[in-house]
Amino acid sequence: MIEMHELTKYFGSLCAVDHVNLKVENEIFGLLGPNGAGKSTTVMMLTTLLKPSSGSASICGYNVVKDAKKVRGTISYVPQDMAVDIKLTGRENVMLYAKLYGVPDRNMRVDDVLELLGLTGRAGDLVRTYSGGMRRRLELAQALVHEPEVLFLDEPTLGLDVAARKKIWEHISALRKRGMTIFMTTHYMEEADEYCDRVAIIDRGRIVVVDSPTNLKLGLGEGASLNDVFLENVKTGEDQAGFDAFRFRTMLRRRS
Amino acid sequence: MKQIFYYFERDMRKWSRSRINVVASLAMPAAWLVLVGLTLPIRFTDNYLEFITPSILVMTMLFSSLQGGALMIFDKVLGFLNKFLAMPAPRESILLGKILFISTRGLLQATVILLIAGLLGVRIHSPLNIALVYLTLFLFGVLFSAIATTLALHISDHDGYAAVNSMISMPLFFASNALMPYDKMPEWLRMLAMVNPLSHTIDSIRVLFAGGLPVEGMVGLAVAAGVMVGVGVVQFRRTGV
Repeated sequence: MIEMHELTKYFGSLCAVDHVNLKVENEIFGLLGPNGAGKSTTVMMLTTLLKPSSGSASICGYNVVKDAKKVRGTISYVPQDMAVDIKLTGRENVMLYAKLYGVPDRNMRVDDVLELLGLTGRAGDLVRTYSGGMRRRLELAQALVHEPEVLFLDEPTLGLDVAARKKIWEHISALRKRGMTIFMTTHYMEEADEYCDRVAIIDRGRIVVVDSPTNLKLGLGEGASLNDVFLENVKTGEDQAGFDAFRFRTMLRRRS
Repeated sequence: MKQIFYYFERDMRKWSRSRINVVASLAMPAAWLVLVGLTLPIRFTDNYLEFITPSILVMTMLFSSLQGGALMIFDKVLGFLNKFLAMPAPRESILLGKILFISTRGLLQATVILLIAGLLGVRIHSPLNIALVYLTLFLFGVLFSAIATTLALHISDHDGYAAVNSMISMPLFFASNALMPYDKMPEWLRMLAMVNPLSHTIDSIRVLFAGGLPVEGMVGLAVAAGVMVGVGVVQFRRTGV
């Protein structure tokens, strides 16, 4: 579904994404990494918002540079900003997307996605009155209105409370069961562990490991969590802070 | 390009739902009309209101268009633009929708000015000329909203945009024939005013008010608006990706 071949992005002399090779099948794929590791840059190249400096990527066989328009018709992208119009109603927000995507039978389709995300009861209210979790679900409704094949989510549960996060994940899992490919970034290891089929850890623009959360944890030994896998593989923050994570973790283990 | 209309519709709905925006955008030009148009002790004409009404109309369009650039800034900063750019709809329809909305909003404000001026005794005699006044104001709105939105693409925050806006708008207004005719200006100001697109637009509107047909002025404005929209589209395509 998604293929990246030597995908690279430079901002001036800074290499944000460094020769990334990845293949994502029909699955929930999580891209994990510390702040500034290149997660968002990768997503922005895949969603045709940034042009790669070198290398290539394709989505459902369409090249993200040459067939950008076809890629845009195949995907949906939900950035982390929570950009919904608070002075419009929930329904109007989704309807705008249905119109822009040229969805056939749009009235019915809009009703369907609002129903799917559990927003029907509040669809006529201004989004100003929605909670953070509802706004995020509204964004998902917008993204789903044209039935994309691949859904890109940048930090979909950022800033939401536990119940709202759980609800978002239930929706994402349901989409996966309906055959949608989901490519997402997150900071929450427990969520990636529970819901992603496979994860990749990216650090300083390079992919360090790719595998299922279970295999990654097994590789580290019994009782390891995805957090341990993450800290084991990511060097960025700790080195800079002169902090020896390995010793710190051994110390913690000895205590318990 | 139905998408232009959809983007237009979005901004229009948002604007019309905020009553304070609507009222505020009308208060300033109305104040100019009454507080300046009716009060200034002017000797070169005995009907200053008639002289200044075209200026206030063009000023309203100018300020409203330049302020409209902020809409683009907000869409960019809040993440809307990225979502729109990741859609298959033609990208320039985002820009054209903004230009259409900003110009239309300006015309709505201009309508209120025209009504107030009418109440105060200003008359345009032929309905055709009223239509042409609207057309001229629209072209002027397109010209400056294209400039504003293109500028907004290159400026990353709202404060910076507000600064650029006030740097452009006031000098442009005062360095024109809005408040006095060319022959009453000091020589240096006249030279500035003669090359100011604002003056040409105000001249055209004054001719239309008097019952004439300013072909040259209107064609010039249409060409300038077309060129600026073209520049905007090219810039948008370049920075959008």
